[in-house]
Formats: sequence, structure tokens, C-alpha cells
Amino acid sequence: MPTVVIASPKGGAGKSTTAVILGTEFAHAGANVTMMDCDPNGSLTLWSERGTLPERIEVVSGLREGEIIRAIKAHDQDGRIVVVDLEGVASRLVSRAISQADLVIIPMRATTLDATIGVRALQLIEEEAEALERDIPHAVVFTMTRAIQSKQHKGIVGSLKEQGVDVIEPELMERAAFSALFEFGGDLYSMPGQGNADKAIENAQGFAKAVFARLAGEQGA
Amino acid sequence: MTDFKINVGALRSRRKDVEPERIKAVDRVSEDLGFTSREASAKRGRKPSPRTGQVHAKVFPNVAAEIADEARRRGVQQGVIIEEAWALYKEKSGV
Repeated sequence: MPTVVIASPKGGAGKSTTAVILGTEFAHAGANVTMMDCDPNGSLTLWSERGTLPERIEVVSGLREGEIIRAIKAHDQDGRIVVVDLEGVASRLVSRAISQADLVIIPMRATTLDATIGVRALQLIEEEAEALERDIPHAVVFTMTRAIQSKQHKGIVGSLKEQGVDVIEPELMERAAFSALFEFGGDLYSMPGQGNADKAIENAQGFAKAVFARLAGEQGA
Repeated sequence: MTDFKINVGALRSRRKDVEPERIKAVDRVSEDLGFTSREASAKRGRKPSPRTGQVHAKVFPNVAAEIADEARRRGVQQGVIIEEAWALYKEKSGV
């Protein structure tokens, strides 16, 4: 089964939120999901301890660079989708996890700083693909976006697309329900109402469907 | 709200590279881009000795000097000489 790695050397880009939304939506849609917490801050682990873990989700915590490859290999053979949440730094752990990915998702806020640092992840994927002599599919998802896009946002999206970078649509918008996942644990269906919950679920499902399409080979970069 | 159901059978996993030489190649290219190890390396320095027992022996000065000289000559601790002497004693006396 495929391994989805959520990577960006930039802290605060929305990696853990993206991982939780993706993992819980996949599980809600019927898949067994292993979520691997490779962030020393343990955001995924904190989420998993906040509330009842949704059905079909298993969380593996505290993986280090010497263990990550074996751990992914062990979990992607037993009919599960593996979602790996990485630390927001440039590290060997990040590069090794990327080497095992069927899809790398790079969350990015629509700011020049996020885009500049996020590009380092794109460069790393390119270099690793060359070293491994195989393609490493990857895509950018914009996080914490607003309904009305700024000029800067449009410019960054346009620039990435011009360079042939796969940009996932829909973007993950700034929603109270997404940040509340880390307050209540569980998923968007189990938490007390937060803001426009239906819109949040629609956004999360749309994102998960777009990722699933890439994993199933229905949509490429 | 859309109805999203996953057909797990539609998913494909790609070949994963786990051979040590492939991983080394990945480590090399990632280091060039600044993605280096951030984990503490193995503890440096001398490993602690497993010899944690002690004997408290008063001996004649010449015996102490001879044990010290022999240990220095062989490059071992004086305790090793005492261990060997004890092993010989056990062998001889059948302890």
C-alpha cells in the first residue's frame, strides 16, 4: 500500500494538520491508516492522545532516522495507507522518509518565505529521484489559505505551475475546525461544532480525494 | 458534502529502495543540500569497565611492587594479575 510523506523544512507550514486531515479522511472513507509521527514535537501523538482515536487508525510515534525505512517497509505491506508526518527542519530523517514515498506532499503557506524554503524540499526530491533512478511523485498543497487570494498567493501558485510543479486543489483553507483537531483529537465528524463544519468537511474530503487520485494514478503532475 | 469511499484495491505501492548502498546515495545527495543528521552520535570516550568488584588487600611492599611492575609491563590493570592468580589458585586447590 502506498506511503504518503508530508514534508517541508519550514516549521509552521501545516504539516501535522495536513497529516491529520489526510489520515482521518482516508480512515473515514474506509482505509486502514498508519500515521507515523517523526516530529520531535510529537504533534500527531498529542492529537492521538487528545480524544478517541478514529477507527482504522494506528499511530506510531518517536521514529528516528535509523528506524524510519524499516518502519515504513513494515507498515506498507499489510494493506494500510501510511502517512508520515515529518519534522520541520532539513534533516537526514526527512530525506530518508522521502526516499520511501509513493507521494510526497509539501504543505506551504502562500507566503514568499514558505515558498522559498519549500523549494528546498522540491530540490531534495529531485536529487533523490536522480540518485535512486526512479520518479518520486510529489505535489504542493497550500495551507491556511483564505477565500480571497492575495496577489502574492496567486503569484506563487502561478510560478510553481509554470515550473511544472503539481499543485493540489482544493487548497486547505484556514478553518476553525482544522485547528480544533488538535484541541479535541478524533476527526472532523466527532468533534463539537466548530465554525462552518460542513465546509470544513467538504474541504478536507476534496483534498483527500485529490490525494487519493494521485495515489491511484488517476491524476499526475 | 461529497461521499468519499476508498477502493483500497485501486492503490498501488511502488518499489522501495532499502539496500544500504541506495540509502547511502540518498544520504550523500541530501547532505549536499543541507539535510544532515540531527541526531546525537554514539557516546564518545572509553567504555566503562565491567570490573566493578574490589579487593582490599594489605601485602608486603615487595609483592605490591612486583604486581605493579608486572601489570605495567603487560599493559593491564593490577586487577587482571590478581584475577589470573585467583584462577591459578582455584585450579590448584580445586575450589
